[in-house]
Amino acid sequence: MTAKISLRGVTKQFTVRPGKGSGARPKARPGQANASTLTAIDSLSLDVRDGEFLTLVGPSGSGKTTLLDLLAGLSSPTSGEVLVDGKPVTGPGKDRAVVFQQYALFPWRTASANVSIGLEGKGADGRKPNRRERAAKAREYLELVGLAGFEDRYPHELSGGMKQRVAIARSLAYEPDVLLMDEPFAALDAQTREQLQDELLRIWKATGKTIVFITHGIDEAVYLGQRVAVLSARPGRLKEIVEVDIPDRDGADDIRSHPAFVEQRHKVWTLLHDEVRLAHDAGHRKILPDGTAPDEPSSATHETLPERSAA
Amino acid sequence: MSTTLIREPKAPAAPQAAAAVGPSALAGWTAQQRTTAVLAAAGTAAARAGSLVWKSAAILAFLALWELGPTYLASPSTRVFLPPLHEVLAAWGRLFETGSIQGHIAASLTRSVAGFGTALAAGVSLGLLIAWYGRLNAVLNPLLELFRNTAALALLPVFTLLLGIGEESKISIVAYAAFFPVLLNTIADVKTVDPLLIRAARSLGLNSFRLFQKVILPSAVPTIFTGIRMAGTASILVLIAAEMVGAKAGLGYLIVNAQSSFLIPDMYAGILTVSLLGLAVNFLLVALERHFSRWRTAVGADAA
Repeated sequence: MTAKISLRGVTKQFTVRPGKGSGARPKARPGQANASTLTAIDSLSLDVRDGEFLTLVGPSGSGKTTLLDLLAGLSSPTSGEVLVDGKPVTGPGKDRAVVFQQYALFPWRTASANVSIGLEGKGADGRKPNRRERAAKAREYLELVGLAGFEDRYPHELSGGMKQRVAIARSLAYEPDVLLMDEPFAALDAQTREQLQDELLRIWKATGKTIVFITHGIDEAVYLGQRVAVLSARPGRLKEIVEVDIPDRDGADDIRSHPAFVEQRHKVWTLLHDEVRLAHDAGHRKILPDGTAPDEPSSATHETLPERSAA
Repeated sequence: MSTTLIREPKAPAAPQAAAAVGPSALAGWTAQQRTTAVLAAAGTAAARAGSLVWKSAAILAFLALWELGPTYLASPSTRVFLPPLHEVLAAWGRLFETGSIQGHIAASLTRSVAGFGTALAAGVSLGLLIAWYGRLNAVLNPLLELFRNTAALALLPVFTLLLGIGEESKISIVAYAAFFPVLLNTIADVKTVDPLLIRAARSLGLNSFRLFQKVILPSAVPTIFTGIRMAGTASILVLIAAEMVGAKAGLGYLIVNAQSSFLIPDMYAGILTVSLLGLAVNFLLVALERHFSRWRTAVGADAA
C-alpha cells in the first residue's frame, strides 16, 4: 500500500507569550519576561497508508491536536514536511476534512445546511452545485450517518451524538480522501460513544476513507484502529506504533472482552502509562490552538487519565 | 401638589381592576393546571389570554386614572394642564382630520429613518471592518469610547451651528446617536465569534470572504440587533429633542408648539403619538430580530 499521508521529521514550535491566553499563569517561569518557545511536536515521522484507520493516543499536551492541525493545513510545521499524496500541505484542502470534539456545527444552519456548507463553493469539476443538488447530497450523507428525516433540525434541537453525526456527515459530504478526527466522541456518553464507534467503522468500510483518529481513550484507540500510534509526553515524539490484530469488529460480538483485544489494550496501556505519568508530573495540559499551554498541575489529572473512555 | 392629588386614587383603582380581571385569569390558571398532553395547546392559549389580561390591566388602570383623575380629583387650575384622556383623544382626532398629525409623523419618520438608516449602514460595515482588523480596533477604541460617552444631545448645538436648523442637522444628530450602539455591538460580537467555528470553516476550505459571509456575519446578527434596538430608541429620543429646539414640523415641534400656544390637549396628543411610535418601532425591531435569530432564541428555550 502507498503512503497517503507522510510526516517527515515534523517539528512544531509555538512562541509563547507569558500571561497570554487563558491567563491561568500570570506568573510565568522565572526569566521568562520575553517570548519563549514551546515545542509541541519534535521531529516526528509517520506514514499513514491509503485507506488506513490510524488512531493516535498520547498524554495531554503531547501535541495530538497540533499534529491534526498540521495535517489539516490549519497551521504549518516549524521544520519538516507534511505530505499528502506526496505533495506538501500548504493549507486546508478539499481532500481532507476535520471532525472536532465540540462538533463545531453552525448553530444558525439546519442539519442539512450544515452538511452542505462545504459544497457551496466550486466542486472538483469546477462547477457550483445548485441548491437542489446540495440538498440531495446533504440528505444522502445524513442518511449515511443515520439521520434521515432530521434535515430541517437546528443543532440545538439535536443531542450530542446526533450533532456529531451531522458533523461527520458534513466532513464526508464534499468527499475528501482523508478524515481527520480530533477526539470526536470524547464529549459523548459511553453508550452513544460505542454506537458511534461502530457507525464510524461501518462508514469507513463503506467509503474506504483514510482516517486519522485522535483519542485519549485506549479502548477506543484499540477498538477502532488498525494501527495505534502512541505519542510520548511533550515534546510529542512517536513512541511506538502498535499493530492491532483482533477479529472483525462488526459490533455483533463483545470484542472488548476478546483475549486479543485485552492483550493489545494492555500493550498500549503499558506504553502510554509511563508517558502519562511523565506528563502528569510535568503538569502538562492541552496546547490551545494559539499555541499557549496553560500548564496547571491541579487540573492535569482528569484530562490525562487514560481510563476515561473505559467508563 | 398636583402629584399628590393624582397619586391618591391609584390605590383604590388598582384592586378594582384586579378584581375585574381576577376570575378570567384564574380560569386560565386552572385550565393550565389541568393541562394534559392533549390539552397543552389549549392550556397555553388560555394562559396567554390570561397573561394578556394581566398585562393590559396596568395600562387600563392607567388610562382610567388619566380619564377620571383630572375630572374628579384635580383642582380646576391643574385640570387645565392635565386634560382627561377623552379631551386628548378628541384633540388627536381633530389633528388627524386636518391632516396635521400625519404631516408631523411623516416629518419625524423621514428624519429618523434617514438618520437611522445611515447609522445602520455605516455602523455595521465599519464595525465589521474594525473588528476584522485587530490593530485598527486597538487604535480606534479609545476614541470610540470617548465619542460614545459624549451624550448626543450635548452636541446638538454643534450640529445646529454647523448644519443649520434644517433637515441636515436633525438627520445628522439622529445618525450620530444611532451610530455608536450599532458600531460597538457589531465590534463586540464579531470579536466573540466562537474560534472553533472559524477553525471549522477554514478546515472546510472557506476563504476569508466566504468565512465572513457565512460564519462571522450570521453569528453576529443577534448581537448586532441588540445594538440596532438600542439605536432605535436613541434615535427617537434624540430626534424629538432636536425637533423641540428648532424645527417647523415634526412631533417634537408639535409638542413644544402646542405648549407655547396653550393647546394643552394637542400637546398630550403629540406625546401620546411619540410613545406609540416608539412602541411600534421597538415591536418591529424585536420581530425582525426574532426572525433573524430563530436558531438562537430557541437555544434559550432549550436550556430552560
